[in-house]
Amino acid sequence: MADSGATSAPKPSSSVKLVLLGEAAVGKSSLVMRFVNNDFQENKEPTIGAAFLTQKCNLPTRTIKFEIWDTAGQERFASLAPMYYRNAQAALVVYDITKASSLQKAQHWVAELQRQASPGIVIALVGNKFDLASANPASDTSTGGDDADATATAEEEEDVDGESDARKVPTKTAKAYADEEALLFFETSAKTGLNVAEVFTAIANAIPETSLKGPRGVGGQTNLGRQEDSARVNLTGANVQGPKEGCAC
Amino acid sequence: MESLDGTDWDVLIVGTGLSQSLLATALSRSGKKILHIDKNDYYGGSEAAFSLQEAEGWSRSVAKDGSSSTTFANVSIHQPEGSETDLTKLLSSRAYSLSLSPQLIYTRSRILPILVSSKVHRQLEFLAVGAWWVYTPGNSAEKLSGNSSQSRSGTAVGHGALNKVPSGREDIFAAQDLDMKAKRSLIKFLRFIGEYEEQGEVWEAHSQAPFSTFLSEQFRIPVALHASLLALTLSSLDADHTTTEFALPRIARHLRSIGSLGPGFGSVIPKWGGLSEVCQVGCRAGAVGGAVYVLGNGLAGPVIDEHPSDGATTETATSSDHLMVVLKDGESVKTRWIAGSRTPQPTEPQICSKSITIVSSSIEALFPPIAEGAPKPAGAVVFFPSGSLVPPDEEDAAPTLSSVYVFVHSSDTGECPANQSILYASVALAGDKAVNLLDKAVQSLLSSVNAQPQPAILWSLRYEQRSQLTQRSQLTQRQENLASTRTASLDQQILVFPPTSLDLAFDDSVLDQVKGVWRTIVGDEGGDFMVFEDREGAGADDEGGEL
Repeated sequence: MADSGATSAPKPSSSVKLVLLGEAAVGKSSLVMRFVNNDFQENKEPTIGAAFLTQKCNLPTRTIKFEIWDTAGQERFASLAPMYYRNAQAALVVYDITKASSLQKAQHWVAELQRQASPGIVIALVGNKFDLASANPASDTSTGGDDADATATAEEEEDVDGESDARKVPTKTAKAYADEEALLFFETSAKTGLNVAEVFTAIANAIPETSLKGPRGVGGQTNLGRQEDSARVNLTGANVQGPKEGCAC
Repeated sequence: MESLDGTDWDVLIVGTGLSQSLLATALSRSGKKILHIDKNDYYGGSEAAFSLQEAEGWSRSVAKDGSSSTTFANVSIHQPEGSETDLTKLLSSRAYSLSLSPQLIYTRSRILPILVSSKVHRQLEFLAVGAWWVYTPGNSAEKLSGNSSQSRSGTAVGHGALNKVPSGREDIFAAQDLDMKAKRSLIKFLRFIGEYEEQGEVWEAHSQAPFSTFLSEQFRIPVALHASLLALTLSSLDADHTTTEFALPRIARHLRSIGSLGPGFGSVIPKWGGLSEVCQVGCRAGAVGGAVYVLGNGLAGPVIDEHPSDGATTETATSSDHLMVVLKDGESVKTRWIAGSRTPQPTEPQICSKSITIVSSSIEALFPPIAEGAPKPAGAVVFFPSGSLVPPDEEDAAPTLSSVYVFVHSSDTGECPANQSILYASVALAGDKAVNLLDKAVQSLLSSVNAQPQPAILWSLRYEQRSQLTQRSQLTQRQENLASTRTASLDQQILVFPPTSLDLAFDDSVLDQVKGVWRTIVGDEGGDFMVFEDREGAGADDEGGEL
């Protein structure tokens, strides 16, 4: 977690709204918990509705503050998604490499984002539960479980000794799709921490550094990096905003 | 979609407009089982914000609904035939977020501390509204001779001028076009309004008289300065009908708000599309608290709008404390409470016409820096006083006296791309007359700002909105609303919000209504209204500034 947590004073900082989408029980919340708290919880309860967390990511030249909207994957919460990806600058679309149908669901989300979200949104496709693939000792138990309320994530079964590879989505398949749609692509394990920080760093790097106004995408450009600019009114405490660059004074 | 009927819901919230969304936030820590539905496939109801494509869809759906949607009517979209270059300036649909609710929020409004104490402000950004301008029509003969070379902007009217409303004593002293006598009378008035409540003897005799008359008779303020003060009332009525009683508290609110969140400005607007953003954030807080959200599904019958005499009820009591209602998709839902907002009836007299115009210029001249140390302004207000816009059909026997307000939003609001701006115009009239006035206001504004090249209209939307106007003092209004929340209920378990206010500033009475409904649902054990701790992981970090 080299890229999170630390504070540094003088670097420019911008907030990035990031939304997590994906089928139920693919490990969305676990990825965020790994990223934000460097923690992993077996048998995590399914997210009800949504959760909101923040985490900083320090890049060499600037700090990105992720405002992470973790949405419930259950179908009954599908109506929530539009309000999360509205004005989002980044989306993390997660599937479970041990469950082929979860990639299809991910592809639906990508299509919806491309149709409805801000034009310049940075999308990362993430195949989670890498720890269950053949390189690791993996469980041979059920990875299906279409039950939307399934609480059992596959990670909890990892300790069971087993020979077979639970992977159902070949890396090549997902990678080819991601390339075609110009998505960032990673396979991760929220359980071991593999590639988790890398995903967020890659997203942070893909958000263009720009001071353009009109924070929504302009034409084909992506200029979604919200600057902590001189226009924002501080609602709390004394007004600490002195005159800054960009103020036409 | 899983079925919703297996659950005994505590609260069914109908619609995702501002009141309902704030209610969702208020209930988000109550532990109640909440189902929040909206018949539209977007959030925000009458406070929604739209991309160009969504605006087109909305326009079609209002036309189709016709009788059933009486909040909005006569929606039309215009894309002027301009030169190639102008047309190409209109960018992709989603580069725009056009607000149906561009209301100002005064910095002293109680909604701001409520957003902070409920912690939802972390997902919101507010921007300052800077200068206020008053339009004065030009002397057409003089202007045509003096300024005709570049000015064929399509109207036969000469250029008017926009004069900045002085925003405080310093401004008044610095004003070069005021003589000492006028300055003194203005300062005297400002001093009075600072504590007008204690000086009933000065104004109570005038309370029903036109505010203009009061200014002349009581303070000898020159007529030429009246428009500046009238502008601050945000009154949609003409000068003759804006009473002293109405004007004083509103001017006082304006002046008292200046400086409370930073030097030189008294009102703010939410970024990304007006109050729509507050609705979204309110619903998100509801979702984080576990509420279930369903778009594109409303009540099958007029449970909320229905008058007791109508008879055809869709709700029936299934037990002593639960109601059964049918949704549009045929599902039945069992709930303890229903909360929703009343649709205005077609007979309701309060109506206004609005237009939203995308302009090919950032119109920098309207956004001068506010003050040393103040944030950069993202909004400006332009007031067209009664009679300042010559009726387009000159032979019109009764000249149109309604005043027009135009709120100008810069691209800093995120509502349009850089180098463009959005004009939100409003007038308390309906029909062709209103359309003409709004068009005239927009044209006059664009031709009086001296921007080069001349700003062009890229796209515009017009509509009529029906509701109730706030034209009484805040206090009576508040009491009446509380009363109506109760009496309008068909049943103790159906809690009804009045229709969205047409006031151009956010109306704090919304908060009292939400609080009333919230209190009814949670009872006396519900704790303080909208006072919550940060949820784990979402707290303030090192940014500071928290109190």
